[in-house]
Parts: sequence; structure tokens; C-alpha cells
Amino acid sequence: MSLPINSRPLMVLRLTTAATQEIGSTPQGTLTIFPIIGGSFEGERLRGRVLAGGGDWVTAHDNGTLTLDLRVTLETDDGALIHMTFTGVRDDANHYFRTVPRFETAAAKYAFLNLLLAVGSAEIRPDGPVHTIEEIL
Amino acid sequence: MNTRLLMMMKVKVGTLVNIGAVPHGTRRTAPLAGGTFEGPRLRGTILPASSVDWQLLRSDGVLEMDLRFTLQTDDGALISMSSFGLRHGPSEVLAAIARGETVDPATYYFRTMPRFETAHPAYLFLNRLITVASGDRRPEGPIYTIHEVL
Repeated sequence: MSLPINSRPLMVLRLTTAATQEIGSTPQGTLTIFPIIGGSFEGERLRGRVLAGGGDWVTAHDNGTLTLDLRVTLETDDGALIHMTFTGVRDDANHYFRTVPRFETAAAKYAFLNLLLAVGSAEIRPDGPVHTIEEIL
Repeated sequence: MNTRLLMMMKVKVGTLVNIGAVPHGTRRTAPLAGGTFEGPRLRGTILPASSVDWQLLRSDGVLEMDLRFTLQTDDGALISMSSFGLRHGPSEVLAAIARGETVDPATYYFRTMPRFETAHPAYLFLNRLITVASGDRRPEGPIYTIHEVL
């Protein structure tokens, strides 16, 4: 019997990026680094800002897709720090941009983040990427 | 989030190898004895020789899974699948699983995020997918329902 999969909103994450760093052609593809210098996140259970000092390592592949490898630090409005990483796939030809975020925190109030898997849907807006992230229940 | 069924995967676990206490938890590996998968767009078997689940029991009681399987479709394509997952739940439920009992999969959290790599033209769509799986740990091994995230 197949098991259903359900989700619920976790947060909307808005990122502010600086000028890209073009690493160029590597054995894996064409690597571009997007430094992340700020941003915000907001959900029913947590909200706050994105600290400067993060980045998204984006590799363009021969099949037309991009893969992401992102690391940022979130700071909640009550002072907790959350380490957030995600990988993802961006396939513009098929309007597909999905990510799989993971979280690590030492703050007891947010320990639920250590226990969940999540899926994000993203879009690039003029002021930066916006990731809508859902918790997998 | 919208999804559709990609496949059901039945896994037969071989003999667990307990590595023991490592700096970040308790590590063990679960080599596969075999398995099958079936969905609307692909079906076949899991090659046991190169398919293992590397598991880490964290200090907060959560089991992290790092799984690498090689799938062979019924028309001969090879697909590399890697998957990160989490399993946790009430201690009495986890103890029942450890005793080899069948428990209701709704009573604990067992989710994974498989990714696929293949060179076979018929299955290139797999290279572009994010997927989410619900697991059901049976005595002989897990049954995964893998959903494509649309």
C-alpha cells in the first residue's frame, strides 16, 4: 500500500545576494558563487533575518539544469542561530526550481527543525531569490 | 506542495554491521540483500552488491540515513540513487521496530529525499527531479513510497 506524503508551510525565505563570483568551467560544470549578504525569513513558528556570510554554489550542467548548494545562518527574532543548508535543482526550461533544505540548531525552542525534512519551491525575483519552504509531515 | 507517485520500493536488508560509537553518534551500515521497485514509469530490481544504507544514530535519538542504491530497470538501464533520511518517534514504537515487529508507519517519522543519476535516455527525467519518500520499516526491510515533487 502506498503511503501518502503531506506537508505544511514552514517559512518564506528571501535572500539578498552580492555580485556573483564566476569560478568557470570545472569538471562538474560551470560554477558560479552567489554571496549571500542578508535576507529575511518568516513563518508561523519562526521569523528573523539572514546573516551576512553565506553563499550559494551554483553549478550549471550540460543538460541545461542548475544544481544549488547553499549555506546560510539564520538568526531568529528572539536570538537563536540556525545553520541552514540546502541542495536543489533548477530547470528553467521546465519551470522547475525545487530545493531540499536542512536545519541544525542548538536552541531548544527550535529543536523541531533538527527532526524534519523539508522541500522548497523557489523563484528568482528582481530583488533576489524567494524560497517557499514546506515541512514534510 | 504537489506530488505524484514515482515508485514503490521494497528493500530486503542483509546483516547489519555495527561500527559503534563514533565522534558524532553511533554508526552502523545496512547492506542490502536485494529489492525491487515499481511505478508507472519504471520498474526493476536493486543490485545488492553496491547498495548500502549508512546509518548514524544521533545523540538526540534521531536515526540519520545515507543510502546509496544501484537500480536496474527491467529494460536494462542502471540508475544510481542516493538518499538522505530521518527516522524518529516514540521510544516504544522504535523499540518494537528494533524487536522486528511490524508497526503502523503513521506512528513514527520515516522520511527520505531520494535523488537519481542515470545516463540512460529513457530515464533522463530522473536526473531533474526532487523526490520525497515515506518509509515503512518492516521486519525484512523498509518499503518506500517515493513521490516526485511537482
